[in-house]
Amino acid sequence: MFKQTRLRSVVLAATLAGLIAYCVMGGFYAREIVVEIAILAILAISLDVVAGFGGMVSLCHGAIMGIAAYAYGILTVKFGLPPLPSAVAAVAGAAVFGTVVGWITGRTSGIFFIMATLAFGQMAYTLIFKSQWLGGDDGMSGLPRFDLSWLGIKMGSSLTYGLFAIALTAAVYIAAAWVLRSAFGRTLGGIHANETRMKALGVNTILHRARAMGFSALLAGIAGIVAAQHTQFISPELLFWTISGEVLIVVILGGLGTLIGPVIGAVAFISLKHQVSGITDHWHIVIGLLLIVIVVAGGRGLYGQSEHWLALRTDKADDKSEDRGHA
Amino acid sequence: MDTGYWALQFLNALQFSMLLFLLSIGLTVIFGLLHFVNLAHGALYMLGAYIGVSAAASFGSYWAAFFLAPIGVTIIGAILYFTLIERLRHAGPMNQVLVTFGLIFVFLDLVRMTWGDIALGLEAPAALAGSSEFAGISYPTYRFFIIAVGAVVMAALWVGLTRTQIGAMIRAGVENGNMAAALGINVNRLFFLVFCVGCALAGLAGVIAAPVFSATTGMGISILIPTLIVVVIGGLGSLEGAIAGSLIVGFIETIGAVFLPEVAAISSYVLLAAVLILRPQGLIPARG
Amino acid sequence: MLEVRNLSKSFGGVRVAHNISFAIEPGERRVILGPNGAGKTTLFNLLVGELVPTSGDILLDGKPINGLSVSERARAGLSRSYQKNNLFENLTIRENLMLAAAAGQRKTTGMFRDCFGDRKVRETVDEVAELVTLTEMLDKPVRSSSYGNRRQLEVGLALATKPRILLMDEPTSGVGPAMIDGFHRLLQSLPRDLTIGIIEHDLDLAFDVADRITVLNFGEIVFEGTPEETRGNKVVRDIYLGDWQSNA
Repeated sequence: MFKQTRLRSVVLAATLAGLIAYCVMGGFYAREIVVEIAILAILAISLDVVAGFGGMVSLCHGAIMGIAAYAYGILTVKFGLPPLPSAVAAVAGAAVFGTVVGWITGRTSGIFFIMATLAFGQMAYTLIFKSQWLGGDDGMSGLPRFDLSWLGIKMGSSLTYGLFAIALTAAVYIAAAWVLRSAFGRTLGGIHANETRMKALGVNTILHRARAMGFSALLAGIAGIVAAQHTQFISPELLFWTISGEVLIVVILGGLGTLIGPVIGAVAFISLKHQVSGITDHWHIVIGLLLIVIVVAGGRGLYGQSEHWLALRTDKADDKSEDRGHA
Repeated sequence: MDTGYWALQFLNALQFSMLLFLLSIGLTVIFGLLHFVNLAHGALYMLGAYIGVSAAASFGSYWAAFFLAPIGVTIIGAILYFTLIERLRHAGPMNQVLVTFGLIFVFLDLVRMTWGDIALGLEAPAALAGSSEFAGISYPTYRFFIIAVGAVVMAALWVGLTRTQIGAMIRAGVENGNMAAALGINVNRLFFLVFCVGCALAGLAGVIAAPVFSATTGMGISILIPTLIVVVIGGLGSLEGAIAGSLIVGFIETIGAVFLPEVAAISSYVLLAAVLILRPQGLIPARG
Repeated sequence: MLEVRNLSKSFGGVRVAHNISFAIEPGERRVILGPNGAGKTTLFNLLVGELVPTSGDILLDGKPINGLSVSERARAGLSRSYQKNNLFENLTIRENLMLAAAAGQRKTTGMFRDCFGDRKVRETVDEVAELVTLTEMLDKPVRSSSYGNRRQLEVGLALATKPRILLMDEPTSGVGPAMIDGFHRLLQSLPRDLTIGIIEHDLDLAFDVADRITVLNFGEIVFEGTPEETRGNKVVRDIYLGDWQSNA
């Protein structure tokens, strides 16, 4: 069951504060990094909701993000609709895709689920890649940012956009945490723990998992909007399987099932990526090995392992103080 | 559209099915027997193609590639087995997926570092160059060769699995690993054997595909997904399922591309969805 | 209320249930007896939908439920406890019961409110905890609970959905005499409008609790009657005491 512990809140606040500071005090390049982190963090949070708490490890979350981005592009660039309603519709579209995939795969679990999501994600990539109308390999440009000039906010400014991305990350985290503590989230946890028993208790687990994927896709869709508006350009690469793979690696890197772990993972991942790209072109081998090492070493991730150690030490401290009390 | 045209499509579909079969049979038996999910199977196929290219370049002969590529991939597979896979056999599907997924990334860059980013070609041997006649049309001889290799492997595996003692042990292990072990079957050695055979088949598929598709860094994942679809559709762990699945997917993708090109791209995904909804255990699963 | 007509189940050539027909009246306490391997758990699996029958019908309130899934039958009021504990191992006893209670009250899909804070859910949990004598243990993690407590929770989960029909599969398996007494008291405190089917091995408990007894052997019903009739029946005695008698 998910619990927003004090430690997690502190770490979340500290991370957000750090990102804000970096955004405000750094220059343009720093803000680019912050937006990259935000997009990846939102994606990772959305994946953790279903993977960490529902046991549904999806390899199509990058594709979901891409679908939202393209939906936004279609509505704004192709049909000339205003940005805000287009964004809402695009996110809703992503949620629908997620729900449908979740429903199709709802009867399967474990490896079949992973393989199926990989396949459907790649299907979305293929469809968009082959579409001339969507620009094919060249992508689509000219995607607008929100016009908040009536509020005095200049979305064109890199500082504003960076803060906007951080704000959305916080909002997504809060939404995810809230839903995980709701009846829906509790039931999802129950299904993860023992699906047959949940069925025997009267829960339609297939529908529930479909809805969970839908909610997760909604959050991932938000990442898609941020990504689309960031560079104001989208290409089919967003939907390529390696992106989905990277999101999964980020979740594991930070800590599956902790919700804050993925945020930490995103920070670590982007930082590492920028360090490594200065040295070598071969980023994939680095993250591949990183993933293998983390899993073989126990799989708790940076934040997850820290939380675990802290819990062990407080247990030991409790035992010690109890002993003293009895003495 | 005359018979010649249909014969052409039929042969293309059959050729693709054979490649899918060679890959999916390894994957499905490894999963059915070892309960081990090897997402890096496609990467092994890619390695087979690239090793083949290098072997052909070094020895100046396609046949060197044909024999050395499966051996090379098997050696790599054996190394993986002893370093990672044996450790992960009881680690649960998620960890297996994650580690083998990490391997995909690793192999992707290893191949790029060793062979570069450009597609590399491999020439078919002179004996198989040119075309042959079949049902009134001219079809590349080499592609007939691919079909032949696939058919021979299919037959050999069929005989091996159904008529030999080892085959019986493998099938027993797939159906009920604990029981097989309790009956005194050395399951660990069997697993290693099956894993190696699976790797060899992947390497073989890669080297015979190279003259047709070229060795590219994207070929691993582009064959992995149809292979996964074949395994899901056919059912886990069974030879019949792999045969049925590869024929179905091979024909749908090839013939579909002829009739409705837009739909063909997603036809196998639609089929995947249908199977997942209606018969999630696959058409011919090894365990009922 | 729960009726079964010519229910059969085969796995390939193996017949595990053959032409089973019986009917349980509303409010009845029906005990299912039979030696190991007689097909009792298979029968329960067929009733709740975890197994699909080869032929035959299952009717709930006179309506056939063959096509209903496990969760649909549960929502129709059919609840079941397992012979082997089937719990939510990573949670506390209270959380286990809350999941069950929330499921029973259909409070599982809301994304805003926490069902664990819901008053009716908490009331149900307290009620059931008292019935199965787990009130003191509610905040213990299942993982560190005794086998007996887990058995109590197993029954508690099935009760927490407030079912109309409760099927219990060997509820007292593996527990000591004190708990069997406790279970006896539990059964007596259950509402009389709850229909109950119990698979039991403890013959004393069975004869004490049952309104009617159905005896299975080799997948078939060999006898059905009141406890007295069952006690006196030769076929039943042969099944249970056969070895002993032939050695006499």
